[in-house]
Amino acid sequence: MAYYSIHSVCASGKEILMKNAKKDLKFSTHILGTENREGLKAWLNPFGYGWERVSYWLQRITGVFLLIYFVGHVIETSSITGGPDVWNSMLEFTQEPIGHLFLILVIGTSTFHSANGIRLIFTHLGKGLGEPGRPDYPYSPSSLNYRQKSGIWVALILAAFAMLFGVQVLFGKG
Amino acid sequence: MKIHYITGVCALFVVAIHIIMRLIMPFSASLTYNNVIGNYHNIFYALLLEIILVLIAIHGFNGLRIILLELRQNRTWEKCVSYGTIIASIAIIAFGTRTIMIASTLKL
Repeated sequence: MAYYSIHSVCASGKEILMKNAKKDLKFSTHILGTENREGLKAWLNPFGYGWERVSYWLQRITGVFLLIYFVGHVIETSSITGGPDVWNSMLEFTQEPIGHLFLILVIGTSTFHSANGIRLIFTHLGKGLGEPGRPDYPYSPSSLNYRQKSGIWVALILAAFAMLFGVQVLFGKG
Repeated sequence: MKIHYITGVCALFVVAIHIIMRLIMPFSASLTYNNVIGNYHNIFYALLLEIILVLIAIHGFNGLRIILLELRQNRTWEKCVSYGTIIASIAIIAFGTRTIMIASTLKL
């Protein structure tokens, strides 16, 4: 969003435009820190960069979801201070199938977030899974090796198993 | 990122204990009012809840801060995001601590 004003006019009648520095400074993406960025739209797109990108996206999405759940959980459990009736009416939500499904989603996302988070710590430390590095010839960066990929799969499989366990506890005979 | 990793790994262990407390008896029985109040009366469990509260609040809001700082970079934005997330985590810790303190003094 640059603003231009007429600087001078050529003999042919063509106008030469010059950037209006003052207005430009105010609206420049360089000052806002958003130049060459697609913002939230790109952030929400998990595709096009392999499984590493999918796992990055999942880590972010599950993180935000779990933060929302955490805040909700603290507010929800504060109903204990209102006595048994308030507590029981709050519990009614978790007894419904939709409440069960929500809790199973929380189990799955938290398991994935934990397992993948541990993988990310190992990756950052450069121990065990291979260090992230510049993709030099023959273009096989260690951050994209089979151990990293297995880490993502282990996180996904653990999350699936945890959710199955949640289904058994919540929908089973209890 | 150190604070993020330390709080994350520690939270994993304490949250595991927190969930096991719900699973050592039938799930629905563990959530009855008397049982939950009984849990709060146990000083170690109340302490555990307080630790979880602090760790997850720091981890969660620091994570949100990292996400927001990645979206754009300038001084005003970074200051607003940092102070906003710090205030939000202090608010949630204060609210949760209030619940723990009131619940641990409630009579059965």
